[in-house]
Amino acid sequence: MAYPTATLDVVGLWVGWFLMLMIYSYPLYKENPAYRTAEHMFIGVTLAITAITNFSNVMRLCITPLMQGNILMIVPLILGLLIFTMLIPEYRWVSRYPIAVMVGAGFGLGIRGTIKPNLQDAIIDTITAPSGGGILDWFNYLWVAVGLVCSIMYFLLTFEHAGPLKGPTRLGRLFLMLALGGYFGNTVLFRFTMLTGRAQFFLQVLKLIPM
Amino acid sequence: MSLSKLANIDRRVFYWILFIALMVPFLSPIGFPITIAPNTQDLYDGITGDQVNEGDVWIMNFGYGVSAWSECHPAVTVCTKALFREGAKIIFIGIHYDVELTYNKLQDTCSEDFADKVYGEDYVFLGYMTGGESVVAQLGSDIASVFPQDHFGTPYGDIPMLEGVEDHTDIAGVLSSDTGDYGTHFMTQWQAAYGTKMAEIGIAMNGSTDLPRWQAGNFFGVSVGSRGGAELEALIGELGEATTAMDSISVSHLLLILAIILGNIGVLTEKLGGKK
Repeated sequence: MAYPTATLDVVGLWVGWFLMLMIYSYPLYKENPAYRTAEHMFIGVTLAITAITNFSNVMRLCITPLMQGNILMIVPLILGLLIFTMLIPEYRWVSRYPIAVMVGAGFGLGIRGTIKPNLQDAIIDTITAPSGGGILDWFNYLWVAVGLVCSIMYFLLTFEHAGPLKGPTRLGRLFLMLALGGYFGNTVLFRFTMLTGRAQFFLQVLKLIPM
Repeated sequence: MSLSKLANIDRRVFYWILFIALMVPFLSPIGFPITIAPNTQDLYDGITGDQVNEGDVWIMNFGYGVSAWSECHPAVTVCTKALFREGAKIIFIGIHYDVELTYNKLQDTCSEDFADKVYGEDYVFLGYMTGGESVVAQLGSDIASVFPQDHFGTPYGDIPMLEGVEDHTDIAGVLSSDTGDYGTHFMTQWQAAYGTKMAEIGIAMNGSTDLPRWQAGNFFGVSVGSRGGAELEALIGELGEATTAMDSISVSHLLLILAIILGNIGVLTEKLGGKK
């Protein structure tokens, strides 16, 4: 990708560069009018684009087919409009119907595909002993097995975590903390990668590195 | 300076050091070695060689916005190149309102491969979709009902490549690149329901969720964050954005570890001083 030459593209690039600096002025300095201006612009523009995109989507998928004679499209259209009754306190109860339809459909579809990959496949993979490999594979297998059993035992809330349950539940808590630490580490990694992308953009706009 | 002061360094000092340090590897690359993880190797193997037949139709889902380009886009670029070079046809779809920007970016990053291909015959951009798991399920049973036309307004039936492509049975595989849940939706509504071959190109944050699914066989491969992108670039033999960024990411991690060590030294010194 080459550095843009069209005036509008160059202007867009520099506007993005300055807005980025305005946003970063908050963590690098403190909250200030430049940061707030950029933040408000970001929220406004995002909401505007989202509204336009979704409005176009409704026109494309519902209104246009309805105008062309697909009368069934009146159903999702009415259900969608009923959501807005949420804004009128005395008719708010009507909005429960479209929400019920959405939740019902969501649950139904979710159940259809959840059991096999999220339960069956995951359990089979966890309890299947390694067929080959070395000692590390077996260590991993046992590590996961102990971690799984102890972590589940931690959520055994009908018994006091004392006596024979004390050790496994404490170990389970340790495993849970490790897992949450792993998740948090991955989250930090993701945020840093985003920051890396911005650092790259910062240098690219200044033409210090190729675009 | 007393060591206990290390626990109270203004965080802005760290942010400044981090922001400046991240830029250094871009100006002067370090070249840390990159090894290939088995999950990335599986992903690459699944979209190359005898795993892809000429004329196969694949779906590439852009489940990420502009903000996650640095995480997902390098891997998506390599996968697009690999599929095109195997003669596969690709349907591009997306769930972010800025999907058009991502599609345009892909045309830049894969410009040589797109140059040999014809829009509507070798690839098509169907554009934006919304509706979560329901729309993914609907896509599996009737693609045209979700996308009656492509992003540019051409009716579905007038696109030569999509002739005979009606539902999941006409799709050879799905590659979903996500910051959110759409990879999971494709897994539950396509892979689990119909056995469709699929792989995930996820952000690093989702690695802990995606890798067990790869181990369980739900995904034939997984690319995790920029690191996965850099590995794929090494596999295809064309180093790109992710490889360049990896040095910077490694520096950021080293700085973070250093900050944790310094902070802990400060806290421990403070505690020990307090006991005295």
